[in-house]
Amino acid sequence: MTWMDEGFKIRHLVWALGIVIFLAIPHLVTDKLLMHLAILGMLYAIVASNWDLTLGYAGVFNFAHLAFFGIGAYTSGILAVKAGVSPWLGIPAGGVTAALASILVSIPAIRLRGIYVALLTFACSQLVLLLLLSQPLITGGQQGLTGVPQLQIGDFRFRESRFAHFYLVGFLLLCSTIFLRRLVTSDFGLSLIALRDFEEYAVARGIPLARQRLLAFLLSSIFPGLAGGVYAHFLIVASPDIFGFSLTTLLLSMVLVGGVATIYGPVIVGVVMTYVSELMASSAWMSEVFGISRGPVRFMFVAVLIVLTMRFFPEGVWGLIKRFSARARGTSNEQQSQSGS
Amino acid sequence: MTLEALVAIIAGGLVSGSLYALMASGLSLVWGTVRMFNFAHGALVMVGAYSAWYVSNRGGIAKALQPIGKSIVANSEEAGALGGLLLPLGEWILSIKGGFGLVLGVPFAILCCGLVGYIMYVLLVKPFVGKPGADLIVIITTIAGASFMQNGVQVIFGPRYKQLDRILKGPPLQILETAIGLQEVLIIILTPLTLFLLHLFLKHSKLGLAIRAVAQNDDFAHLVGINVSQIYPLTFVVSSILAGLCGVMLGGLFFILPTMGAQELLFAFVVVVFGGLGSLPGTIVGAYVIGFIRESSAYIIDLYWAPVVLFATLIIVLIFRPRGLMGGEDS
Repeated sequence: MTWMDEGFKIRHLVWALGIVIFLAIPHLVTDKLLMHLAILGMLYAIVASNWDLTLGYAGVFNFAHLAFFGIGAYTSGILAVKAGVSPWLGIPAGGVTAALASILVSIPAIRLRGIYVALLTFACSQLVLLLLLSQPLITGGQQGLTGVPQLQIGDFRFRESRFAHFYLVGFLLLCSTIFLRRLVTSDFGLSLIALRDFEEYAVARGIPLARQRLLAFLLSSIFPGLAGGVYAHFLIVASPDIFGFSLTTLLLSMVLVGGVATIYGPVIVGVVMTYVSELMASSAWMSEVFGISRGPVRFMFVAVLIVLTMRFFPEGVWGLIKRFSARARGTSNEQQSQSGS
Repeated sequence: MTLEALVAIIAGGLVSGSLYALMASGLSLVWGTVRMFNFAHGALVMVGAYSAWYVSNRGGIAKALQPIGKSIVANSEEAGALGGLLLPLGEWILSIKGGFGLVLGVPFAILCCGLVGYIMYVLLVKPFVGKPGADLIVIITTIAGASFMQNGVQVIFGPRYKQLDRILKGPPLQILETAIGLQEVLIIILTPLTLFLLHLFLKHSKLGLAIRAVAQNDDFAHLVGINVSQIYPLTFVVSSILAGLCGVMLGGLFFILPTMGAQELLFAFVVVVFGGLGSLPGTIVGAYVIGFIRESSAYIIDLYWAPVVLFATLIIVLIFRPRGLMGGEDS
């Protein structure tokens, strides 16, 4: 079993190298915009990779995922602005409300099949938006909740430091990724895949369908809720745009282009995609070609990218990497089937 | 409850029910035939409203044509023999400062929506028909399409609100001291007519019969010589036109903006799930029921809590009838 030892070593080496590079980034990169995008990208990567759990592994057409992120953002934001609660309590509270919301959504959703799940979850996320818009005194309505306080410990303000947000969000992303990878390679993850691929057989073998799906919703909502809280304090605003078609499309593209049911794919592509789309919005030639409105054009590009991915590379970037690396090694090893695609 | 309130609820319910019926019947038709769900249906409503606005309003094509008209008039004298022809053309262009009106706006909206529906089918749906997991893939591609159209319209027209002219101008109708706008009355009358035309088309025209045959069984439809690959885009076009008409009506009631249609799409989802996907009578009945529930809960409880009441209704229906009130066995 030498390949296993080698794989084990290589994996540890890759992790160690990744962490060293990660810690070094704020020391090497001085550009403010790039750092801002890196933080934003990691937040989106958390949301996208967690979406992969319900959409990719469980195969549930869950379109309420961004609502969990938005609920986290609004919970922490409202607690801080209206009740003066410390963000360090508000962010975990965002995780809790997102988890509660996920249970509420999944109770009707697990009874339904296929397309009906998509309709119900999409409708639920729009319902959350309508409710937020209907209470402008609490949520700021269409303009969003402004004046959300920034994070600080004692006198140390996070926005004044180049490192603080980066390390905090990076740590959150690391926890989320380890959590998700552990989850999808565990028996629970295997049972989700079994339910997705052959529902009748899996149920016949004694896997409780409703419970596993509810757990999938619940476990995929916690980190987006936390990320939402950090997002609100990082941008010092919670905006109803979170629930719009544009952000949904952007995050969906991260999951799909990264590769469904891979976790790593959405994480990597989440960061890259944020860079690409934001740089597209701020680059000079775009403004020359399209005049003033560059923001919308970027979402149009993302939309085209999604359709092209679905058409020509349905397994996404991570799938391509795996295919090439498998070909390079020239063996069909068990590692590939184990990592659960 | 007073009688006036009852009239207001009935009128409001009929208006919202009509709008939902127009939207949801298109969704249901496509689902019944192509077995796909079009998440860009709300964006088509928006396209319908914008295209009608572009032709009918003074700020649309009329404004864009003015410089052309001016330059034609200015240059017509130098053009010699052609000038005699060009001068009236230029003057005619200058005379349409106020736009072409809804007489041309509505047909243009229908044309535009039909075309967009066809393009959408070719780009977003056709490549995936018959592939495993096509229903999920098409949800994703149509969400992308909706985002593309919303942002595209914002690039072309800017984020500012626009409004369509009302089709009928005049004082509102008084029924038992409740004022009902003429636009609302028109919507209440025209929608059942449109749906009746749809019914005639589906029951008695050859193409309509073909659509229903494909909806019942594609393989047998193929066997009796129906070209299924032409029926799919046709269904998309018909459903897009229905969405466009809904957009024209909405544009006269509320403001037109790039994100319009999203909320109507939400209610149309509720309607199709409530009535059962693929069942046209179920969808239409569902639309009016949902319209009445929405208006009465808005009146009795609060406008903002109406969606919550709707959702509670929907979830209760789904718990007892997971395929909707009139949905068939096939999901």
